[in-house]
Amino acid sequence: MIEEVIIFGTVQGALLALLALGFSLVYGVGGVLNLAHGAFYLITAYIIFWTIPLFGFTVSAIVGLIAVMGIAAFTSLALIKPLQDTHIGVVLVTFALAFFFEQFVKYFGDPLYHYIAPWVPGFITLLGINLQAQLLALVIGSIALVIVVTLFINKTKIGKSIRAVSQDAEAASLVGINTDLVLMTSLVLSALLVGFAVIFYAPGNYIAPHIGWRYLLLAFSVTIFGGMGSIPGSIVGAFIMGYATTFTDYFPMLGPEYSQLIPIVVILVMLLIRPQGLLGKEEVQ
Amino acid sequence: MMRLQLDLRSFFERFKIWAVSFRGSITLIALAGLSLFPPITRSVYWTQILISAMIFAIFAASWDLLAGYAGQVSFGHSVFFGAAGYVTAALVRYLGVNWILSLIAGAFAAVLFSLLIGIPCLRLKGPYLALGTLAFSLILLSLFYMGPPWSDILGGSEGISGLPVPPNIFVAFYLVLGFMIISLFGMHAIVESRLGTLLKAIRDDETCADASGINTTVYKLIAFMLSGFFAGIAGSLFVLQQTAVNPAYFQPLYSFYAIIMASIGGIATIFGSIAGSFIFWILSEFLRPLAAAALLIFATLLILIVRFAEEGVMNPVMERIQEYWDKFRGM
Repeated sequence: MIEEVIIFGTVQGALLALLALGFSLVYGVGGVLNLAHGAFYLITAYIIFWTIPLFGFTVSAIVGLIAVMGIAAFTSLALIKPLQDTHIGVVLVTFALAFFFEQFVKYFGDPLYHYIAPWVPGFITLLGINLQAQLLALVIGSIALVIVVTLFINKTKIGKSIRAVSQDAEAASLVGINTDLVLMTSLVLSALLVGFAVIFYAPGNYIAPHIGWRYLLLAFSVTIFGGMGSIPGSIVGAFIMGYATTFTDYFPMLGPEYSQLIPIVVILVMLLIRPQGLLGKEEVQ
Repeated sequence: MMRLQLDLRSFFERFKIWAVSFRGSITLIALAGLSLFPPITRSVYWTQILISAMIFAIFAASWDLLAGYAGQVSFGHSVFFGAAGYVTAALVRYLGVNWILSLIAGAFAAVLFSLLIGIPCLRLKGPYLALGTLAFSLILLSLFYMGPPWSDILGGSEGISGLPVPPNIFVAFYLVLGFMIISLFGMHAIVESRLGTLLKAIRDDETCADASGINTTVYKLIAFMLSGFFAGIAGSLFVLQQTAVNPAYFQPLYSFYAIIMASIGGIATIFGSIAGSFIFWILSEFLRPLAAAALLIFATLLILIVRFAEEGVMNPVMERIQEYWDKFRGM
């Protein structure tokens, strides 16, 4: 059982890190709770699924990434920015957007489950456990992306302005940082990470119009666990959550039915005992 | 005796003044139109839809009371809806209790749940509160969907069905109409009272309210309980109308229905929820013939309404009508 938990927990953690990193970044920058985060996953997965027969996987993956980044930029400019003063407005409009994508996929595709073939074929054996080679690619890709994003946030100019805005938006705009541009950049970045999560994880799995909500919930719980707006927090949180859910999956008394509950229980317990999360900063009133 | 008569007379005087004022006459005309609808059209189908719309108007207004006035944005309002529904359904189905008693019991069960959620979540603010309440509703949703041993007590994914059908749909219509009028005017009275002012103070500046000697914890809890009570009434009524209850009542979608309706009508207006709920239900009914495209169009409309009508649709439209009304009366 230990081997399974280690291996599948790492895989799960790598996926969660990709999902939660961008979500947390966007929350940190604008206080924006992007309920369309899971819908970004959904629409990328379907764009790739629809275009594979036309172009093959590589080109359609690029098409999917560009499309989701475009959608994110549009969402930020046309929907989130004008409503940013009213937090409930942002939440409603992103919820409506998520609902829109679910219906869009249902209308132009069908409500059935679909399977995307893995682009890394075959199985490998680690610690005596067979797993899809695709999942190993997920782990490697996720680690590489997390490093790249961390470098981007810490070293580049735009990355530094993202951090500045998330520390104090008002002061940042006073020293001449374009906060709208920063919000758009972080949203596009989060969409890019979600897009890569699709490329690594969706092949070899089933997709359906309703899957977006599940990924949104996962991103939520990891972000709350690690601390809203904290990048190290969401990475550490992702792996802890990954091991916790996998442990529940394989624990004899429990099972997958209970591991579905883990993210929600984590949200609740964490909110009650430490609302700022594992590595989050205290909110100053 | 004398005093009572005087009070009654002044009440009638006030009612008369209110009735000829713009808001009063619009309200009365709308209520008259609504109550004449079933006898004129004799359409059972549309009566059912209007009943649902009225029930959801109560539900949306209860969310508005908590979020719009007390500033406590809840994403878990479906908990109150579902909990009240389950209690009502269990009492009617297994114990054979009278429906009105079960409805009251359901509403009080919702109050109990509002305490259960309100007390731990009071420390949370803004989006954190929203997420905490959302998590509560998701936990209940998963618990009710779980297989044995949970399903033996909670009914599993089947829920409770086979409640007695309301004998006459038109009688049910007027009962629900009565519930809606009493609940909405009750909530309106609450937000116009001293309690409402206190809640608005907490919404606008909690630190300041605290410093002025308002016990914010107690008043926030009261807001949760009142909101839970009215949401519970809506949940019980909906279960009695649908004659069945299942775990889907706990899904976040119902919470979002309330939020959507309240925002369409206008947040912090209470009566806007009626407009929002009727627009929502009638629109979704007219879109039904388009089948698969209906929900897509609906989602698009929703994005547009939220994006371009921040104040909701009721107040701007009412102001426009009032202009014409004043011109008409001035003539």
